[in-house]
Amino acid sequence: MLKVTGLSKSYASEHGPVEAVKGIDFEIPAGGFFTILGPSGCGKTTTLRCVAGLERPTGGTISIGGRVVADAGQGIHLPAFRRDIGMVFQSYAIWPHMDVFRNVAYPLQVAKPRVGRADIEAKVMEALRLVGMEKMARRPATDLSGGQQQRVAFARAIVRQPKLLLLDEPLSNLDSKLREQMRDELQELVSRVAITTLYVTHDQAEALAMSNHVAVMSDGMIAQCGPPPLVYSQPATRFVATFLGTANLLRARIVSSAGRTATVALDGGTEAVQLEVPPGLGAGDWIDVVFRPEDTALSFTQGDGNALYGTLERISFQGGVSECHVRVGRAVVRSNLHPSITAQRGDPVWVSLDPGRCVVFAAAAS
Amino acid sequence: MVAIPSESTSARGADVGIAGGGLLAGAVLATIYLISAPLFMLLASAFRGPRDMLPFEPGTQWTFANLASIYADKTLYSAVIPNTLVFTAGSVTLTFTIAFTLAWLVERTDMPLRTTVFTVVLFPLLVPGIILGIAWILLLAPRTGLLNLAIRATFGLGGDGPLNIFSMGGLIFAQGIALVPFVFLLLTAALRSMNPVLEEASNTSGASPAVTFFRVTLPILRPGILAPLILATLVTLEQFEMPLILGLPARVSVFATRIYFELNPDTDLPAYGRAAAVALPFLAAGMLLLWFYNRMTRRADRFVTITGKGYRPTRIEIGRWKLPALAFVTLYAAFAAILPALVLVWASLFGYQSPSWAALSQVNPTGYVNMVYSARFWMAVRNTFLVAGGSAVLVTIIGALLSWTILRTRWPGRGVLDFVSFLSIGIPSVIAGLACMMLYLSLPIGLYGTVWVLILAYSYRLAVTTRLSKAALTQIHGELEEASHVAGGSWLTTIRRVVLPLLAPSLLASFVLLFIIGFREFTLPVLLQSRENEVLSVIMWKLFIGNQTSQAAAVGTTIVVLIIPVIFLMRRLLLGREAT
Repeated sequence: MLKVTGLSKSYASEHGPVEAVKGIDFEIPAGGFFTILGPSGCGKTTTLRCVAGLERPTGGTISIGGRVVADAGQGIHLPAFRRDIGMVFQSYAIWPHMDVFRNVAYPLQVAKPRVGRADIEAKVMEALRLVGMEKMARRPATDLSGGQQQRVAFARAIVRQPKLLLLDEPLSNLDSKLREQMRDELQELVSRVAITTLYVTHDQAEALAMSNHVAVMSDGMIAQCGPPPLVYSQPATRFVATFLGTANLLRARIVSSAGRTATVALDGGTEAVQLEVPPGLGAGDWIDVVFRPEDTALSFTQGDGNALYGTLERISFQGGVSECHVRVGRAVVRSNLHPSITAQRGDPVWVSLDPGRCVVFAAAAS
Repeated sequence: MVAIPSESTSARGADVGIAGGGLLAGAVLATIYLISAPLFMLLASAFRGPRDMLPFEPGTQWTFANLASIYADKTLYSAVIPNTLVFTAGSVTLTFTIAFTLAWLVERTDMPLRTTVFTVVLFPLLVPGIILGIAWILLLAPRTGLLNLAIRATFGLGGDGPLNIFSMGGLIFAQGIALVPFVFLLLTAALRSMNPVLEEASNTSGASPAVTFFRVTLPILRPGILAPLILATLVTLEQFEMPLILGLPARVSVFATRIYFELNPDTDLPAYGRAAAVALPFLAAGMLLLWFYNRMTRRADRFVTITGKGYRPTRIEIGRWKLPALAFVTLYAAFAAILPALVLVWASLFGYQSPSWAALSQVNPTGYVNMVYSARFWMAVRNTFLVAGGSAVLVTIIGALLSWTILRTRWPGRGVLDFVSFLSIGIPSVIAGLACMMLYLSLPIGLYGTVWVLILAYSYRLAVTTRLSKAALTQIHGELEEASHVAGGSWLTTIRRVVLPLLAPSLLASFVLLFIIGFREFTLPVLLQSRENEVLSVIMWKLFIGNQTSQAAAVGTTIVVLIIPVIFLMRRLLLGREAT
């Protein structure tokens, strides 16, 4: 449905040219919900704007529904208004001089093919009903709350049933309570309208919860792309591991190895643990071990052995869970404890690891 | 944006202290005096007679004779009112067409040389209107204008013309061009404050650029366009200098020159009462426009759609329109800045000779020599700086204290005060001059004819600073002052150590602005002139109508040379702010 090949975009800035997007590829099947996730400045919004036609790519091609809309090599650049898309902007961009109805009716009035007057009325009301705003059709745009503006923006984006729906951090301007509610609502709406969707966000919770596919972007490139559970559990790079959720990243050294299984000693730690390591690494190599707090178990006795020994440095009660920081050698490991268990700072503890849930990278040169 | 909770700054009146209270009360009284006393005198004069006496001289009485004689005069309806309307409508249309095109090209397209437009536009903004007017006469006078000479020579035409600055068309051209910078700066600000995402949303909805322009851009900009439109109408309506130097020879009389004519009739004595009677509807029109303006800006505030994070607007690629756009800019630059500057330099050295290589050998610096050895010139220099500087200081201080009183105290009547200070925008300069003339001729304190009366007259422009310092003061959270009070600082200490340092940049800005306005002023000093208080713009005009053209041009050139460094300084300030 949407196919992006070798997309790159560079700007001229006061400090010389800036390469915001450095040649990325991705594809969204019809009806798919695809999220680009990344920190601010990673190029995700630029990518979205290139797809929308608001920016002209400096390299690569974009096709929507089989039609090439941008091809930098051949100088093809279809302007935004000819691309048959719907877009929800970060600031919603609700026109202040129109009421709710006229905001939503606008795409039907201006886009080709033209829609009859009676049809417009019906389609606008249907879209407003979908977002639960049908009673506010005549309300001036300046009198809307953040959540209402978001709904109107969504209704406006889907009212002409475009081929592709683009969402640019639509939840980032809402307060946290409303954001969670709107996240669920938006997910529900998107699945109901069944339009191929490209979603851009810096919020990993949104990305994980909503999409079929997530692309983690960093520094103008896609670091990893795949279904959310896979990207979460099998991060391809250190960046993906640390950006998605909470992760422990520890420097360690292989003591001995037999095939893929190796005995590993943590830098500065006292215990050795058994892990699976990528091929090509052997005794004496430094590695980075990544694992999630929820994949560890904290205990006050040594147990079966595949555990790191340390002292409890901080314990903070979070309601459903108690977050613990355990000092292991020079590093701090984050783990969780059931909130009913009481523990004291300074208590000796063992953090046991599940080798199958640890990801190992060859250590970065430092 | 810092939102100021009104509660945190409440109930402050008590801890101002005696010294502070005195200072604020002084500022309040000064405001009321500077604006109301002349206006009161003006209103009274309209109803006092006989007409050639000052309103409260012995022997005068209340009368409707002034009003009756003015409003029974048929030429008022057949000439003055239609002329004023045609002049205003024509100039404002011309101004807006040029200013909007320039602003749009600079802000929204990728036209090259965009920063140059800023530089060009600052020239007519800073150079006094009277200098531009004289320069255009030198270029476009039907018989001697250099441009006319050139056109006649090129096309082999005989007689006068073809262009004639002394006509309604010439008047509209001059005023229209002269007001472009002011409107241009307001429009670029409006264009810049518009969130480009609103246009992008229209684009992604399937609207073509033209549809987007008419259905989204224009409607959203409407308050931001109408407010400068009203302000430009107000400024043009009160215009005096162009109608005086271009309209009078053309026998085109507008309201402002009609008032002047009543004060300086050809044969009779000055008719103070009649002048005041002409002023009344003019004043009412000004107030009405001001009311509209106020309503518009309030709506504009509601429409302001800047968001914190945002992309720089995507500029429209003008492509093959590049040459026409640059030609338009060049044409404006030629008439507004380049040709006027060149013709002044030429006339100051060669008088009325038409430019040629042969003429170059007859360079004659007499204009400059006379100027430098003229005591009158040096007194005018002194007066200009004294009056512009003095009124700017006075108004900045009073305006700042006034804003503080309006925003931070709970004094009764603050709203009225705000309105009174705002009122001064709607008072035409001619009327302010007339009102001050009436007041200080009547008051037996010997101020009339001195530079001090000019400082007082210039100072009616309180609205400029009150607006600027009010905007700045709203940004300074009341808690910053409260923190100083809690730390043990008295009111005066707090003002001196906390408020003033934070307010300083905007106070400096309003001082500079007022200084420039004062430097350019012509209407007030010409109405209130005496031998002792002439300023540069006045002596230049007098030299010019006294046929001392090269000396007038020498004065004009000197002023332009003084202003050019200021243009580059201001350009850096304007563009520097844009970059951040």
